[in-house]
This record gives sequence, structure tokens and C-alpha cells, in this order.
Amino acid sequence: MNKEAPLSIAERDFILNALREDVRLDGRAADQLRPLKVSFGEEYGHVKVQLGRTSLVIRVSAEVTKPHEDRPFDGLFTIAMELTAMGSPAWDNGRQGDLETYVTNVLDRVIRHSNALDTESLCIVKGVSCWSIRADVHVTDYDGNLIDGACIGIMAGLQHFRRPDAVVKDGQVIVYGLDQRVPVALNITHKPLAVTFHTFDEGKRVILDATRKEEQAAEADVVFGLNNAGDVCFMSKFSGSPVDAMVFVNKTSVALDKVKEINAIIDKALQADLAMRAKKGMAEESRAENDR
Amino acid sequence: MSSPLVLLPGDEVPSEYLPASSSAPLRLGAGLRLLSQPHPTTTSSSSTQAPSHVLTATQAGILSTDTKRNALSILSFPHRRYIPTANDLVIAQIHHSSPDYFHCMITPQAPHAVLGQLSFEGATKKTRPMLKQGDLVYARVLSIGLGAGAEVELACVNPATGRAEPGGLGPLNGGMVFDISTGMASRLMRASSSTGEQQDGVAGLVVLDELGKKLEKAGGFEIAIGRNGKVWVDCSNSGDVAVKATVAIGRCLTTIDEHDLNPADQKKLVSRVLRELKIEV
Repeated sequence: MNKEAPLSIAERDFILNALREDVRLDGRAADQLRPLKVSFGEEYGHVKVQLGRTSLVIRVSAEVTKPHEDRPFDGLFTIAMELTAMGSPAWDNGRQGDLETYVTNVLDRVIRHSNALDTESLCIVKGVSCWSIRADVHVTDYDGNLIDGACIGIMAGLQHFRRPDAVVKDGQVIVYGLDQRVPVALNITHKPLAVTFHTFDEGKRVILDATRKEEQAAEADVVFGLNNAGDVCFMSKFSGSPVDAMVFVNKTSVALDKVKEINAIIDKALQADLAMRAKKGMAEESRAENDR
Repeated sequence: MSSPLVLLPGDEVPSEYLPASSSAPLRLGAGLRLLSQPHPTTTSSSSTQAPSHVLTATQAGILSTDTKRNALSILSFPHRRYIPTANDLVIAQIHHSSPDYFHCMITPQAPHAVLGQLSFEGATKKTRPMLKQGDLVYARVLSIGLGAGAEVELACVNPATGRAEPGGLGPLNGGMVFDISTGMASRLMRASSSTGEQQDGVAGLVVLDELGKKLEKAGGFEIAIGRNGKVWVDCSNSGDVAVKATVAIGRCLTTIDEHDLNPADQKKLVSRVLRELKIEV
């Protein structure tokens, strides 16, 4: 029953007219991101992403399971995303909407199918046990551009996450606790990110990182997935009106700049968090009341 | 009486905070409810002035009294949930129409409110406005109904006089709608309805005055504030800076709402936003 609130005619016309004058509602340039903040929680792999008013919480977790029969050398990696009533009153709990299917599909193809996480490194014993990595995406506030936000969160989470060390001894798998052995970082092959553009006015106006209202007023969206090296691993234009081919060519270079910019923000946040952890870890260890 | 009184849901309003004059009926605003009224029989027996009404708060907030209008209301904290109260002015969006009514959305995920096809100023069967899906109207909440499944009824006209009172009720054409918190919306209403000298103290909002002064030369602007957390702005008189001026007003209001700026900062923000958008003042 719940549906996204439709835009009024006045809003739709105004957004379009403003874009014709190169003005966006929040005063951004066409190729400008909203303020992005990436922060980490207490545990490894707990990321909070704030992109304008869109906010997400991402949890990466690991467990030991049996690998698939047909891929005995590969570990498992799943991305779970559920849009619940917590994120927006327009979403129902336990019912999958079009947006959820679409975003999950894009995330799968940008991150999972581009092999951002090396699943072979997750194998423990061939065909018997492997690590299963799971990234849960929770949306806590929604103001457009879920795809980019979720991508940023998952990639930051994968880079931040440390899985427990596991060793095979006489055919027995021993998993050490986080306090017993130094946990292991995941093997990231490359850092792909999604960059979404929306087109207006028969494809003449193209904007980056649209808000919810802009998304609703748009004609079509174009999603690029690429990494720092400029390898395009995903490109889509699922629905909406036609988009000129030159848009794809021109906007790929813009997208590359944005991916570098976002990756730099993630790296900075990761460095800051690691430095803080190192400092805190030292303090923990040197405390007198520790068990020895 | 000058220090603000904070009430929690369920708290009774102390009788000394009620406006003294008893000639006009007491008007209750959002967040207040009449719990019990004195029975005619009991009032005659009690010689002393017993508390005439028991009022309780249904929302947490600061009690605000308007002695001139003999009105009481609660200024709540900034949230975005709007609960319809009779006599509120709201900006509604037409969802669909039926032979007798327009079905409107006040808040997107709540049940639709009804607006009579003929409850516009001077509307007859022939001259009624033909509104279509997605059009906006500025309307007053006529009644909120009682019990489950009750419909909220809107009107763009005072049924007693047949006039659009206060002026400006009716369809809104053009312009742009910005979302703000309901608390901010009620503060804006108070700021614009009170007189100049008490304005700073009442709601701490000088942004509309400031914007009005700065944009006067460009052609001024029209604004409609809906208690449901929507602000409609139109600058179509401003010629070529119309779009920019509208965006500037919207940005000022939403930023002040988000960061809860004081009057000095509001003035600074207005100048900064106008400068960024390159509007000559």
C-alpha cells in the first residue's frame, strides 16, 4: 500500500526549469557530490555513511561454512539489502519493492561480479569449509542515490573488516578469536564504486548524485561502476527515456574523477580509524589489570 | 508568566497560564486537548473561581499563549510528523478527484483528506476550479473527524462568510515547495502573524523579513506556509532571477531549520546564500 510520495506538478516543473538555468535546489554544481562522511564503529566492518541526508549503516560479518559443490575453491560473499520502514515511510517491512530489487542487482554486479573481493582467498579446506562474508546494508534515512551510498559503505566495510584467523591442523579447522591472534584483512583486488547520473530535458541536462526529489523528476538514470584505474566494470541504463551515447563517453571521465575523490575520502577515514585503533590498542595492552 | 513553561504529554496546563480574558472563547492549537469542562450544575454551587477548564498536553513542548487571539498552543520540538488539527493551514496535493470531492494528500503516507469541489471562494458548479492530479492547494483543516476511519476535511473558504479567509487560500500555481519540520512551519506562521516589535522574542525568526528586504528590489516573493511542514514559494514577479530567488529562499529556510540558527546567523546566511547565487541586492 505504501508508495513513494509523488511529486507535485509545481515541483517537477520547477526542478526542470532550474536545471535549465544550471541551478540545483541545494546550490550544488551539476557534477558535485553532496557532503560525504564515512565513519567506523567499534567493531571491524561497521561503517556509517552519510551522503547529504541519505544515511546508511553497513555491517560486514564472517562465518565458516561449506563452499558450493561446483566451486570447491571459492568462499562465499553475499550482499544483503533490505529497505525497511526505518529508512522511509514509503517502504514496507518484509515486502520487496522495485527500488530494492534494482539497487540489490546493481550492487551485486558492481561489487560482487567485478570480483572486488577475492573469494578464492576465503577458502580454508577445499570443498569442506570456507569463509562466508556477508555485507548487510541498512538504510536509516533516504534522500536519493542509494546505489552510490551503499557502494561506498560496502567497499569501506570490506576494507575495514578483519576476519578471525583460521588454521588447519590435522584436518581440523581451528578458528582463533580476535583477541587470540591478529585478525586478517580481506583480500581486495580492486575498489570499484558506482556513480549515478540522472538526465533531464531530453538528455540535455545531466546531474550527479540526485536527491530524492531530483530522482523523481528525472527522465532516466545512468549508472557507472568503475575503479581507480578507470576500468569500467559496470554500466547501465535500465529504464527511462533514451540517452545520447556521448553522455556515456563524457560522463565516464567525470565518474572516474568522482571515484578517485570518494576513494580518497574512504582511505583517509580508514587511516584515521586505524591510527586511532593502534593508539587505543596500545593503551589496552599496557593496562595493569589485564590478564597475563 | 514570562518564563517558558515546558509541558510533557499528559501534563495539565496550570490555570495561571490560561489567558485571563473570558469574553472570547479559548482557542486550542496543536498539541493541546480539553480533558474536562465544568458542569453547569457544579459551577453554580461553587462560589470561588474554580479552575474552569482542564487542559492537557498531547505533545512535549513549550506552552505558548497568544493573549490577543485568546489562543493556546504547544511549540513542539522539530520533527516532521504532522497530525491534523482543526483550523490549521496546510498545503495539500491533489491525488484524484471524485464527483463531489478532491482527494488530497496532506502527508504522503497518511490517508487522504477530502476537499469539497465547491469549497472555494466563489465556486459554483460551473466556475469551480478544475484541479488535476499533482496540483497544490492552500487549505484550512475544517474538521478532523472522530474515531477510526474518520476523514480529515479541508476547505479553501470560510463556510460562514463564503470568502477565502485568510486571503490566499485556494489553488497554488507555479512556484516550488520545500519541506521543513512542522515545528519550523509553526514558528514561521507565528513570526509572520505577529507584529514587528515582538517578532524577535516570539519565534526568533527574522529570515522572512530579511529576505523580503533584500528581494524587494528584485520583485519580491509570495510565500504560503503549511503546518504540515511544507513551504510554497513563488517569485514569478522577479523576472530573470525568479528561479534563483526561489532556490535562495528554500535554501535559507531548510538550512535554518536544520541548524537552528539564531537571528544574527540567519541574517548572515541570507547574505551568503544570495551572494553564492549571484543575486543583486
